[in-house]
Amino acid sequence: MEIDTLVQEDAVSVALKSTSRAEALEEMVDLLPASALQDKNQCLEDIQKREQEGSTGIGFGFAIPHGKSNGVQQAAIAIGKTEEGLEWESLDGKPVEVIFLIAVPEENAGDDHLKILQQLSRKMMDETFRDSLKGADTKKQIVDIVSKI
Amino acid sequence: MKLVGITSCPNGIAHTYMAAENLNKAAKEKGIDIKVETQGSIGVENELTEEDIESADGVVIAADKTVEKSRFEGKPVLEVASSDAIRRADELLAQFENKEVATYSERSGKEKAKEKIEEDKAKKKKKQNPVYRHLMNGVSYMIPFVVVGGLLIAISLSLGGEPTEDGLAIPEGTFWSAINQLGGTAFNFMVPILAGFIAMSIADRPGLAPGMIGGFIANDGSFYGSEAGAGFIGGILAGFLAGYIAKWIKEVKVPEMIQPIMPILIIPILASLAVGLIFIYVLGAPIAGLMEAMTNGLEGMEGGSRILLGIILGAMISFDMGGPFNKVAFLFGAALITQGQPEVMGAIAAAICTPPLGMGLASLLFKKKFEKDEREAGKAAVAMGLVGITEGAIPLAAADPFRVIPSIMAGGMTAGAIAMLGGVADHVPHGGPVVAVFGAIDNVIMFFIAIVIGTIVTALLANVLKKPVVEGS
Repeated sequence: MEIDTLVQEDAVSVALKSTSRAEALEEMVDLLPASALQDKNQCLEDIQKREQEGSTGIGFGFAIPHGKSNGVQQAAIAIGKTEEGLEWESLDGKPVEVIFLIAVPEENAGDDHLKILQQLSRKMMDETFRDSLKGADTKKQIVDIVSKI
Repeated sequence: MKLVGITSCPNGIAHTYMAAENLNKAAKEKGIDIKVETQGSIGVENELTEEDIESADGVVIAADKTVEKSRFEGKPVLEVASSDAIRRADELLAQFENKEVATYSERSGKEKAKEKIEEDKAKKKKKQNPVYRHLMNGVSYMIPFVVVGGLLIAISLSLGGEPTEDGLAIPEGTFWSAINQLGGTAFNFMVPILAGFIAMSIADRPGLAPGMIGGFIANDGSFYGSEAGAGFIGGILAGFLAGYIAKWIKEVKVPEMIQPIMPILIIPILASLAVGLIFIYVLGAPIAGLMEAMTNGLEGMEGGSRILLGIILGAMISFDMGGPFNKVAFLFGAALITQGQPEVMGAIAAAICTPPLGMGLASLLFKKKFEKDEREAGKAAVAMGLVGITEGAIPLAAADPFRVIPSIMAGGMTAGAIAMLGGVADHVPHGGPVVAVFGAIDNVIMFFIAIVIGTIVTALLANVLKKPVVEGS
């Protein structure tokens, strides 16, 4: 399995409309491909729940809300950018500009997708990777950057 | 310098790996050699070997869950949240360079090492009460045994059972009898596993053996001349006793020479002896005595108020689910069938299934009040309830006894009273809807009304009493 099976251009937004963390979660769950979801509300609820346990704002203007959920059929990622910068209770207190929303099914059908998410998570720690994402302004650019992992 | 590390987070999807990556990067910049084990949803990767640990100058644990630490005995151990490794891996490593990290020791260093990270963890600790955390640890390891045992017994009873004077019996030598025995074996592990992992949560690995041995003894009345063991409540007691005794022995100062054999030899042996002997010589006699007193008490009630008897039996059946109260009530009802009073067993048969059905229903309806593990156990509890296996509710009760036990008792009392009022009779010493299917119940409609109302009372009361789950760990 390759990462481009998890991220599709339709699931990317370079200009989120949301003005808050809560709105952004909803907006981004909406971006996920319908085929990946069984129950959108359940998926959103589980991601919100994880967010309550501790902010997923990892600093550097990045957030990675994620959740394991029965509402998810197939692992999928949505990527969103926002010009405004959203308050996310981040580790470094800075507003969030780039959001990776990761939805994973509760029951693991193999762990291929987990391995990809692991690579993605590790990549988040790479400054060049983060800067190139911050600089990207089309859906295609973003998908290209992420596909190179 | 060489370090080893472990990272772990609640979901095991992202933070585990980000923390690991950042530790690796920060170490590389500082010229430190580091190997980081990740405990994520894929399982353990890059596992630390004994040699790795042996040759390391320090251990950094960046985790939001409990990580087993006994393998790091004698090493400087720094425990932080995964977010600390993401945010300030540099600083963490600098603490090792400046020799600011306290040495971890099963014996006493544990407290010291913890103080350092107290600030970081203070918030989390407040959120979750340690007693609850220990219980939940025991329960999560017990659940598979309850589910395997309960479902195998349920399947074999419903497909291979025949109603007889001695209850639902499965003819010996049949295939279903083998399945039933398999299930019974799983059930036998239930209480020892519960006790063992409660103790392990308190005292780490040295607590495991004393807890399991104590749990086994607590659950087997023959050790102390009682007809029934102390059930899961006895198991919880044994687990906490074993855990705190082991922890207490750990804190005793011993000469350096003896230290290495403390965790594998001295602590387990002394703690096992202490817990086992406490049960056999101190708690055993009162438990046996209590059973006798209860039996006499019930016999004294014959001819008295039927409804009161139904309420009392319902409460006893659901209080300890397989422990002494449950056993006394059950044997009393079973004995009265042969004396021509099957109505008493009727009340018991209704109360037998309301704890698992009620808690199962509660876990389906009120998801926020239950951990994920508990919700899974709840589904299995429904299946067990249908065939009259009260034990199905044990995982849910053991995780939160002070709120769940009153709920299931209220439901059991309601069911017992309604069944008595409705003149339900059961001619087979077994409970749950399955008995009606086998045609052993008189007044089937009232029997089911009793079960349904008892189930609903249990579920609603559980919802009122239980608090929402704080943290899924």
